[in-house]
Amino acid sequence: MLTRDRIGALLMLAFSLFYWLQIDEIRVLPFQANAAFTARTIPEILAIMGVVLSLVLLLKPGSNEKMQVTGFLWGKAALICIAMVAYGLTVRPAGFLISTSLFLMFGFWVLGERRPVIILAASVPLVVLFWLLMTQVLDVYIAALPAFLEG
Amino acid sequence: MLEGILQGLSTAASPVNLLMVAAGCFVGTFIGMLPGLGPISAIALMIPITYGFDPATGLILMAGVYYGAIFGGSTSSILINAPGVAGTVATAFDGYPMARQGMAGKALAIAAYSSFSGGTIAAVFLLIAAPSLAAVSLAFQSTDYFALMVLGLTAVAAFAGKGNVIKALLMTALGLMLSTVGTDKGVGVPRFTFGSQSLIDGISFLLLAMATFALSEALMSILRPKTDADRKKEMEAQKRLGSMKIDKSEVKEMAPVIGRSSVLGFFVGVLPGAGATIASFLAYGMEQRIAGPKKGAEFGKGSIRGLSAPETANNAAASGSFVPLLTLGIPGSGTTAIMLGALLSYGIQPGPRLFQDNPEVFWSVIISMYIGNVILLILNLPLIPYIARVLAIPSNILLPLIVFFSLIGVYFVSFNTFDIHLMVLFAIAAVVLRLLDFPMAPMLLGFILGGMMEENLRRALMINNDSWSFLWERDLTLSILIIAAVVLFVPMIGPRITAALNRRRESAGEGG
Repeated sequence: MLTRDRIGALLMLAFSLFYWLQIDEIRVLPFQANAAFTARTIPEILAIMGVVLSLVLLLKPGSNEKMQVTGFLWGKAALICIAMVAYGLTVRPAGFLISTSLFLMFGFWVLGERRPVIILAASVPLVVLFWLLMTQVLDVYIAALPAFLEG
Repeated sequence: MLEGILQGLSTAASPVNLLMVAAGCFVGTFIGMLPGLGPISAIALMIPITYGFDPATGLILMAGVYYGAIFGGSTSSILINAPGVAGTVATAFDGYPMARQGMAGKALAIAAYSSFSGGTIAAVFLLIAAPSLAAVSLAFQSTDYFALMVLGLTAVAAFAGKGNVIKALLMTALGLMLSTVGTDKGVGVPRFTFGSQSLIDGISFLLLAMATFALSEALMSILRPKTDADRKKEMEAQKRLGSMKIDKSEVKEMAPVIGRSSVLGFFVGVLPGAGATIASFLAYGMEQRIAGPKKGAEFGKGSIRGLSAPETANNAAASGSFVPLLTLGIPGSGTTAIMLGALLSYGIQPGPRLFQDNPEVFWSVIISMYIGNVILLILNLPLIPYIARVLAIPSNILLPLIVFFSLIGVYFVSFNTFDIHLMVLFAIAAVVLRLLDFPMAPMLLGFILGGMMEENLRRALMINNDSWSFLWERDLTLSILIIAAVVLFVPMIGPRITAALNRRRESAGEGG
């Protein structure tokens, strides 16, 4: 039966095997050929540990509970994740003020806030205040606007 | 030692540092009160701000945040039965029933006085224990450190996994694996970087902590939103707090509980891996037994002893967990692990050398813990009715803000947008692992200890001419490794041995 623990064990097993395969990519320098400890030593120990522990969990799961997937708001969480990725892509080209305000406004909207006044009041002033705090008080430079507007 | 204490006192009592510890306590309480966000997230969110400070000030701020977050967690446990962290679960057993009886203010005051007393007594113990242990640990070699780190990891894995040792060990292994990403410190070859320049320096611990705690906790809250009934409960709780006064008979009842729970909490906290959660449950169980049948029956229904014991113990354990961190450089919990990460990023290596090389940091942290406790009592307690209003902020506004602060906290350190995308990836993985009931703290600990463990093992092998014999030839190393094995295997085979003994006893009873 594919229990919660077994799904976890399979994911960990896949990750450990992938990690193991990548060890071959680590270069061993010629003078280290016969050394007891190289850059591969710890990864090799860890890969074996990961595989063995995953197999133990697969064969002897701690509980028989099934993974719960219903009753969660997957769509909203996915939209927030997409918004985070988009924020990462736009924070430089669009500047801090615009991209952050849009990110927060979108986040509030996704989570069910529909009042435009609240959406605006909880995002734009906070972003401007935060930008002022970082640039004026803590001396951290952040481009506020897109490059073509900054001049 | 006296000179060091005075030096620490003058550092900790400087106006800037006093302000920092006060601000830390306040912000920590605020963050800790938000259900789902615990001390690890609170500290992680504060680290980017502390990078501009000198190490002592930064650490003082974080110590304040730590205590504040624990206290904030107790507050949400008492008011809305939603412990922010595992360490305050036992607080809700009696704190929430008290709040439901209209004595929320009193419950909060008992929690605050107990936390203060537990923290104070433990700070005195820390003052005595830390320098002695630091002196002893000067004799430790890299082989012993390697063994100690193995002990730290196995202990955390064994305790943190709620009985499921394998899952906790797997998470430790995952943390260790992630720590190998980046340039190898021994010979300088890149490992698991997939040709990306952004991974050459490895994964930042702040990124990992923020993604797997603050960000993934926010995502979990989005996945499982609160019901209207919960919201109503929160609104009501912050409206009716009642009196915060405690009378003489209650003080008399609390005093011996506080004494016992402080000692228990401190020693449990010192043990790697045990931490505040186990300390609070142990103290609760111990007091219930000591209370006798009549008073013991009140436990779970709003008992003063039942609230005071876990609150005292979790704060005492929080102080206790600083002993292995400051003296051996080995964190005993997820929270001290993140503190260690912060120390390393300041260029400070905790351990016996810290006591010698940076006494002002060593002592000012210890002194500031005490100041933090005082501030929690005199500043936070009266402010609780106002701070509790944070519970009224709607989650559809709060959660995007937490997500934003998590992302920007990491971005402002590296200014590399790759980090934001890596965070999203880790946060999604952490959510999946949380849904599969995998604990996160062992992973963070594995990640932070991974690099040091490899370094010590490399050094140990070099000193021993590439021979692994140091593992069994050096007595101290061998002893620590044996303890690690005992800590690891006892929780696994202990229940089976007990079950087998019970079966034998039963069959003997039937036979006789």
